[in-house]
Amino acid sequence: MKAQQESAAPKVNMNIQKATHEQLKRHNRQLVLRAVYGGLANSRAALAQATGLAKPTVSSLIGDLLEEGLLTERGRGPSTGSGGKRPRLLEFMPAARQVIGISINQARASGVLSNLAGEISARHSLHLSAGENDPANIADIGIVQDVVNGLIAQLDAPLLCIGVGVPGTVDTSSGIVRQSRQLGWSNLPLATQLTARYEIPVYVGNSTELCALAQFAFGTNGESAPRNLVTVLVDHGVEVGVTLEGGSYHSGGDISNLHLLAAGSRPNHQRLDSLFNWEAIRSRVQELREVYPGSSLPDCDLSFMHIRYCATKGDSAALELCDELSARLAMVISWVIGLLQPETISLAGPIADLGEAFLERVAEETAQLLAPVALSASFSLAYSPNLGALGAVALVLQKELAIL
Amino acid sequence: MTSNDLAILTNNRQEVFQYAVIAGVQEVADQRGFSVTVAEIPQPLDDIARLPLKPQAFAGILAISNVLPAEMLETLSRTGMPLTLVSHCTGSSLPSITHDNQQGMALLMEHLVTVCERSKLAFICGDSKQNDGLQREAAFRQEAMRYALDIPESHFLPGDFEPNKAANSLKAFLATSPDIDGIVSADYLMGIAALEILSRTGHTVPADVAVVGFGDGPEADEAGLTTVAADVVELGRRAARQLIGQLGGLSIRGQTLLSTQLVRRQSTG
Repeated sequence: MKAQQESAAPKVNMNIQKATHEQLKRHNRQLVLRAVYGGLANSRAALAQATGLAKPTVSSLIGDLLEEGLLTERGRGPSTGSGGKRPRLLEFMPAARQVIGISINQARASGVLSNLAGEISARHSLHLSAGENDPANIADIGIVQDVVNGLIAQLDAPLLCIGVGVPGTVDTSSGIVRQSRQLGWSNLPLATQLTARYEIPVYVGNSTELCALAQFAFGTNGESAPRNLVTVLVDHGVEVGVTLEGGSYHSGGDISNLHLLAAGSRPNHQRLDSLFNWEAIRSRVQELREVYPGSSLPDCDLSFMHIRYCATKGDSAALELCDELSARLAMVISWVIGLLQPETISLAGPIADLGEAFLERVAEETAQLLAPVALSASFSLAYSPNLGALGAVALVLQKELAIL
Repeated sequence: MTSNDLAILTNNRQEVFQYAVIAGVQEVADQRGFSVTVAEIPQPLDDIARLPLKPQAFAGILAISNVLPAEMLETLSRTGMPLTLVSHCTGSSLPSITHDNQQGMALLMEHLVTVCERSKLAFICGDSKQNDGLQREAAFRQEAMRYALDIPESHFLPGDFEPNKAANSLKAFLATSPDIDGIVSADYLMGIAALEILSRTGHTVPADVAVVGFGDGPEADEAGLTTVAADVVELGRRAARQLIGQLGGLSIRGQTLLSTQLVRRQSTG
């Protein structure tokens, strides 16, 4: 019987490795930081209780963190019921380090310099010229370095890490950009190259994922952060970023190549990026201005804000354009909701400037497409032009300090 | 001239903005062991040979506002001269630094429109030949569209960053009995002048008219003007940092934008 039991024993993978002392220390350090940062505990005794770590371990970690300036002691709390010494209270110091977050697409590379609470002190941006933005020419990472350097010149505290968001598929664990159609990058070891240059940790992610992560980390327009969020980013392409339970779900969702069936007397398929890119929208505005000669939509310097303003004033061309865009977006979003069931859908990119009335329209059209299944997701707009770069900051805080 | 000498090019070193930038640059230069030479450039300058200094004698050059035409700056840059442009508008990727005019104006308008519930606005313009003047007006117009505000062109008052000119413009405007409940000023000194004119013409601030201005200083605090803090001396400090960073081997292209913060005071309640 014993022999039979032994032969029936499950196979065990013996590739499991014991954590090194350094890994354990790093893990415990992150536990302590997260507890203080999240307001769970702010004294040595409370931290030991909250983290399950032994008091000497907690004291040693706090000693290191005090020396690095990431924590400080701020007064004393009330003594415990047993009349012991009043504990020294600990506070997280977001200004102790700074983080650079970069976001790059076909038109520009932009970055933010932030403290550990996501408060931005400076931005730096580089618009790519007509020759530069050709995927064949964005071959090297000099563009990323120019923006990083612009922010390094403005550091007020030691630089902790750099985070970079790129369009396309990214292997977040290795920091390799597997495929970026917009930038013409393929299997580019971006994290390794930047780490070699700057000698600090670098983390890389898909820029739309990072937009979603930024909203989880820093809230959505002042509201509390949703834990399950899908961001649809409409800029030079159409991308979908998913955050589930506060973490990025996969390594990139560029759906620009997907086709949408445009309704009409002769239904035709069109690629999403050809429907939503700015040249297509401008061209459509020209057509609509001819249909509605009294339209206030400007001939030049057109922006989404102009479209929004004119639609608010009842301009027929602007309203018709908004109807078309909302209908197309609703088709995309209804699939996203059907598949992923997120709590929140957020619309990001310059198209967010079309505003709340447009978003309501998108939500209504989406609800009609999903009926009779009830629409449970809420909709929001992600206005910030820094969202991708902020998301890169959030990625760094998550990976390096585990405080998100 | 030694290799530790920085040149600052300006069209008028005594003007409030330029003076403050130069002070900030000087402070950082002193800390980092650099000397500074300030050169006033005759306007308009049509030939780089007429520059009153030899660029190659300097380690790096800071150009304030639109002191040199874009082509000349590109020529200087092509020689390998480290260059930083301060509040300069070139449309190129030369390293530059400015306050985030769009972000600052967005903060002012959000406060004025959503918090103070004002919708009938006037705008006191800056100098349309200067980057800050152009950007702040463009940002104001953009934000007005965001809130679907109709602002007649007659509500855009010339100011040119000169408080006396702003005061005269506003006085003439108020004499037409316009229907306004808020004023946005492209800088805080013109905003302070606006407060004085409103007081003299019997308008109560903020009850009748709320006033906000761009940029901050002790005078704004004394006058009780709500502003977005855009410290110009700090702009100079950071411009120096950008230039000195390049001297240290950092390759920089593009524009650094410094964030602003809303400072609420009595002029908006």
